[in-house]
Parts: sequence; structure tokens; C-alpha cells
Amino acid sequence: MSKKAPQAAQAEHVDERPLEERLRRLEEIARILDVGDRPLDEQLKLYSEGMTLAATCRAELEQAQLRVEELAK
Amino acid sequence: MPTPNARNEAVTVSELTTAISALLTEGIGDVIVEGEISNFKAHSSGHRYFTLKDAGAQIACVMWRTRSLDFVPQDGMHVILGGRLTVYPPQGKYQIDVIWMRPAGVGALQRLLEERKRLFAARGWFDWQRKRPLPVLPTTIGVVTSPTGAALQDILRTIGMRFPAARIIIRPALVQGQGAAEDVAAGILDMQTSGAEVLIVGRGGGSIEDLWAFNEEVVARAIIESSIPVISAVGHETDETISDLVADMRAATPTHAAVLATPVTVDDLVVSIDDQRMRMTRSIARRLDDLRALVQRFADGSAMRRLQERLLQRQQRIDELTTRYARSVGTAIDRLRQRVEHQESLLTSLHPLAPLRRGFAVLERDGSVLPPGEALHRGDTVRIRRHRQTADVTVTEIQDLEHPEGASHE
Repeated sequence: MSKKAPQAAQAEHVDERPLEERLRRLEEIARILDVGDRPLDEQLKLYSEGMTLAATCRAELEQAQLRVEELAK
Repeated sequence: MPTPNARNEAVTVSELTTAISALLTEGIGDVIVEGEISNFKAHSSGHRYFTLKDAGAQIACVMWRTRSLDFVPQDGMHVILGGRLTVYPPQGKYQIDVIWMRPAGVGALQRLLEERKRLFAARGWFDWQRKRPLPVLPTTIGVVTSPTGAALQDILRTIGMRFPAARIIIRPALVQGQGAAEDVAAGILDMQTSGAEVLIVGRGGGSIEDLWAFNEEVVARAIIESSIPVISAVGHETDETISDLVADMRAATPTHAAVLATPVTVDDLVVSIDDQRMRMTRSIARRLDDLRALVQRFADGSAMRRLQERLLQRQQRIDELTTRYARSVGTAIDRLRQRVEHQESLLTSLHPLAPLRRGFAVLERDGSVLPPGEALHRGDTVRIRRHRQTADVTVTEIQDLEHPEGASHE
């Protein structure tokens, strides 16, 4: 796993999935790795995906600013 | 507007009445009036007729069956009503076509509110089974309230602190006065397609009259029919409006509503994400350690050594078994050999010359054993055969024994 992968992924495309969905995926990955019964290369892929998700979600949350829109009457 | 008598000629009554009607409906039109009810009559047709009056004047009112009325008007009751001024030509009478009417004054409103609570409760509008759970992690939050009120500022500030990742959609609405209830209801309806996952509907504190829009049936219906869960936040904790009762969740204040709308804060999520990250790293590290250990076992030859050890053990076992086998075979051979030797010695003892070993001797003459019956005489030459010697001797003395068998018995 190169450390650059998450950053590159972050720069290249923004994850369109809702935050909640991504957080659920992150939890799912952590659970799968906990059990540890998948083939190693799959686990490594999941780990990489999970770390990317964790990094982007965290960054997104920390940089978040309230977006306020007005609905026309 | 042309004067009916502009041509200085007589007009018909109808023509005059039409002109009066036009003058009144176009010149005055929509009215909101406050006064006291008198002479109230609910006709069997469903239409209601009464007079609205104060100390100095009175005006006829009609409220058609189709106009909804959620209290029972009584003579002497103080009310506020809205409608249009119209003329009834058959009686040459002007009157108010009443569109809505509600009791005026705190006491009357309070009574009306209690009445409505009973009515709506009976309809099941306040039932807990009807209420929907609020989303745990809404990223879009709709707010229907006054754009200028302190309530909106409280809501924005609170959400901004707790969950700034949220998108907030505001639907500005009139929250008090004529048309407020309809505007709030329309706002809730407008929100349905906005993508909001939860709605905050409300306003800051005020008198019961200020909050009245949130007691209207049209707002209650909009909340009930909303496909999005609604948090009601009207006034202070002590003001319990119809909106509060029909909403999926009641907030004591607008700030409280913002807290309810964001049950999970950004800080909570960051902690949770860090936790997942540690979990993942721990898990994968453990897995890799396991694999490394496995690889290591092969790499340093310990597996091969163990294999060899097992082979050696097997060899030793084989040796052990064969040794024991050989020993038992050997014993058998020894026994056989002893038996053979025994037989051999037996045989040996039966050899004609065997007695010689024990010291006996044989007499021979002319190369043959001297038979026991053949007598010897003085001067005979015979050969004595012993075990390892022969001796030729001459007989010098003869004595005959009484029991020759005893001597020859060997």
C-alpha cells in the first residue's frame, strides 16, 4: 500500500456517495478485516479502500462549512 | 366608475343596486373585522347567518356551509373574521361573506385550542404510532420559519457548531398574522422535493395570538402529510401548539430543534473514523504478522528440519523393531543349536570307541577287536587300544574270573 494512493484518489475524483453511505462502508470494511477470513490480496485492497475512505471523510468533515440555501417561495 | 344618474334620468332599482354592489366589492372588497357575534343562526342548509356588532354599529354576516369552522359560535362571543363585502340585491342589504372566523382574545383562543386538541386527538393525529423516527445522520436539513427571526439564527448557529457538514435549505415563511398558517403549510409542501431529510418548522416565542398559525388545521395537516419527518419548534417550552403535538418530534426551542436534527456531531464522526482506521490497521497488521511468521517458518528451514526429525524418528522405530526381531530369532537359533549339540553328544556317547574317553580300553589281535568269548593264553600278543594310545603287550599270567559278565559289562 503506498501512502500516496489515498491522496491521489482524493485529488482525482470526489466521492459522490453520501457521507452516511461511505461511513457505513468504512465500518463494513473494518468488520471484514476484523474477521480476517478473506484472501490476503482482497484484504489488502479493502484496507486501502478503507484508509482512503477514512482520510477523505475525515478531511471532508473537518473542512466542512455550513451551506445555507434559500428555497424560493 | 360612471354615476348611475349621470344622464339625469331615472334608473331602475336593479341598475342602482348593481352600481352599489360594484362600488362596495371593488372599493372595499376584502375585510378583516373584529366584533361581537349576535343573533347567530345555523340554518338547516348548513349556512350560518349572524350579525357582527360593536357598541356603535352592526353588520350582517353570512358564512356558507363550505367555509370551515372549527368552533361553535355563540352570541356574545368576541371574534375576528375575514371575508369580502358583498351586496344581497333581493333585500337591498350589504353583508360580509365570511371566509374564516376565529375567537378573539386570549381566553377564547385558549378555549379554542383546547377544543382543537380534543378534536385532533380523537382523530388520532397525536398518536405515537404515527410518529416517524428522525434520521441519525441527515446531511440536508430543511427549515421553514421567518427569515428575519432569532429562531433561524439560533438554528443556523447550533447546526453550524454541531454538524457544519450539513446543507441547510431555508423556506422563508410568514409565521404570524393573516395568511401565516397557509404560508407555513405551503412551505412544508415546498420542502417535500427539496432533498431535505428532516424538517424544522417553527418560530420564536410570542403570545398565543402570535403563535396561532401553528394551531391551525392547515399546518397540522401539512405536517401529518409530510413525507419528511418534522421537528416542531414553536415558542417556548410552555407553549404547546397543535404543530408540536402532531410533529414527529417536539423541540422546546429552535436551538433544541437544531440539536435534535443533528444527533451525531462532526466530532463524534471524526472519533469514530479514527477508531475504524485503528481497527483496520490492527487487523491487517495482525494478518500480515501471521503470514510473515508462516513464511519465516519455511524460509529458515525449520520446517525441513522438522520433516527430517520425523524421518529419523521413523528410522529409529524401524531399527528398534528389527533389533527386537533379530534378538528373538537369535534366541531361537541358540536353542536349536543347543538341541543339535545335545543330540550330537548323545550320538557321540554311543560311538563304539566312546568308552575309551572315560578310560576303558579295547583289546585287539591281528587288527580286530578280540571277541569276549575268545580266551587268551600265556604268551599271546595283543594290542591294547586306549583313547590316545595303543600298546602291544604279551600275556604273562592268566586268571579266570567267576563273573566274566561283570567285567565285560560296559
